[in-house]
Amino acid sequence: MPPRVARLLHQAAMAALSIALAVLAWAAFAQYFAFPDLVPSPWSTFETGAQMLSSGALAAHVGVSLQRVLVGYAAGCAIGIAIGALMGRIPIVRQLADPVLQLMRPISPVALVPLSIIWFGIGDMSRYFIIFYGVVIIMIMNTAAGVASTPNIRLNAARCLGARPLQIFRRVIIPSAVPYILTGMRVALGFAFMGIVAAEMIAAQSGIGYLIMQSRMLLRTDIMFVGLVTLGVLGALIDTCFRLAIDRTMKRFMEHQVNV
Amino acid sequence: MHWDKLALEDVSMTFNPDRPGEYRALAHTTFSVARGEFYCLLGPSGCGKSTVLNLLAGFVAPASGMIRMGARRITGAGTDRVVVFQDAANALFPWLRAHENVEFGLAIQGMPRSEAARRAQHYLDLVGLSAHAQKFPYELSGGMKQRCQLARALVLEPEVLLMDEPFAALDAISKRIMQQELVRIWQQFHITIVYITHDVGEAVLLAQKVAVMRRGPASCVKDEFAIDLPYPRKPTDGTVTATYAKVEASLQEEVGVSLYAA
Repeated sequence: MPPRVARLLHQAAMAALSIALAVLAWAAFAQYFAFPDLVPSPWSTFETGAQMLSSGALAAHVGVSLQRVLVGYAAGCAIGIAIGALMGRIPIVRQLADPVLQLMRPISPVALVPLSIIWFGIGDMSRYFIIFYGVVIIMIMNTAAGVASTPNIRLNAARCLGARPLQIFRRVIIPSAVPYILTGMRVALGFAFMGIVAAEMIAAQSGIGYLIMQSRMLLRTDIMFVGLVTLGVLGALIDTCFRLAIDRTMKRFMEHQVNV
Repeated sequence: MHWDKLALEDVSMTFNPDRPGEYRALAHTTFSVARGEFYCLLGPSGCGKSTVLNLLAGFVAPASGMIRMGARRITGAGTDRVVVFQDAANALFPWLRAHENVEFGLAIQGMPRSEAARRAQHYLDLVGLSAHAQKFPYELSGGMKQRCQLARALVLEPEVLLMDEPFAALDAISKRIMQQELVRIWQQFHITIVYITHDVGEAVLLAQKVAVMRRGPASCVKDEFAIDLPYPRKPTDGTVTATYAKVEASLQEEVGVSLYAA
């Protein structure tokens, strides 16, 4: 067996074992320590999940949530990268924007849920806004740090090779900042998933957050657990895809950058 | 554009003027490099050699005085004066393959890809790097990184190569090989080279003229030694060692402590 395959098998086996142990601990806890109504067993959770999958209800909620995440996340990334790039290169922009950002950073997106409903109503706009807010701050911070960190020698090298300021920005500064930007995008994706649940818990009629909130009213902890497990699986899956995509397409920017 | 010499005229340079940490690096520095000359700037560390190079490159402007290339005043960077840096890992673009690094200067001029690739190939051959054209900088050895920087500079057909201790980080043998290659390239292209080093031996082997700088602060060029010897020079040759002794004595006064104290 080639060493690469062996290593992959080992990793997969350990991952399976880790999840199996967690499910076992969950089952034991549900069986021996908790009221069945408070902590559903893994099996009843999976059963409920299977029913919701086959009826299409789960997929519908997931689809709605994903669409909201996507819109807010994409807008947050695009605008965050643009503002961060300006901040990182233009001192006056940084000096003006940074204090405000430091004040905004501790305000969690969840704290903005009531305000966003007043501002944008109970439609999807308020949910886009909450996700956007969480994402945009992380992207501004990371992009600004990345753009400001381009080694001076590299800038001078580009200059004497004849590059104009805009060419230097596009061909040297942005590529140098890619590791920071992509790391920010991964962290922000996690925040987007946290934000969407908070946003859907109030005044929503669909989505995973709504599902979890709704099951509280019905005292259906099994549905609640389906929602939680779905969030975990979805988040981990998307993060893995993101990482693989970076490895495949962005490798030359990610590795062996000095000073990263 | 016609020019006969590249010159610093009465140049002074102060960092952080009127602030804490104010440092006067250069004071009334004047020297000139003839077109086609191999000119070495030699001095103890911290004497402002790199500042002189940054001024010649146009990366910084002097506090007073003037930098001129013939009749033209230098006010910014340009492809007629390309720099080869000591820190190749940062100077090369790590996300570009060796040949893409060499093509960079052509690509930003808007040269068609195939033409840029053809020219890059020519210069990669010239510096002996064609077998490694597809590698990324981190896959290249120290010597190969400097070959890549050389090709990246030469492909733009500059008039002047500004070299900032380019081989200081190389092992002794690679250094000797690169010095020979550089002399070969200089002779082939009749290019002007301003070469910064703190290594007397290197200066004497390479340069037609060696300028010794005073120690900082307020440094300037103190002595110039013309070395009219044929290439390739052998370090053991009698005239070379005699020149070495003269330059060494001049540098010794600037180092402050005796290098030969028993």
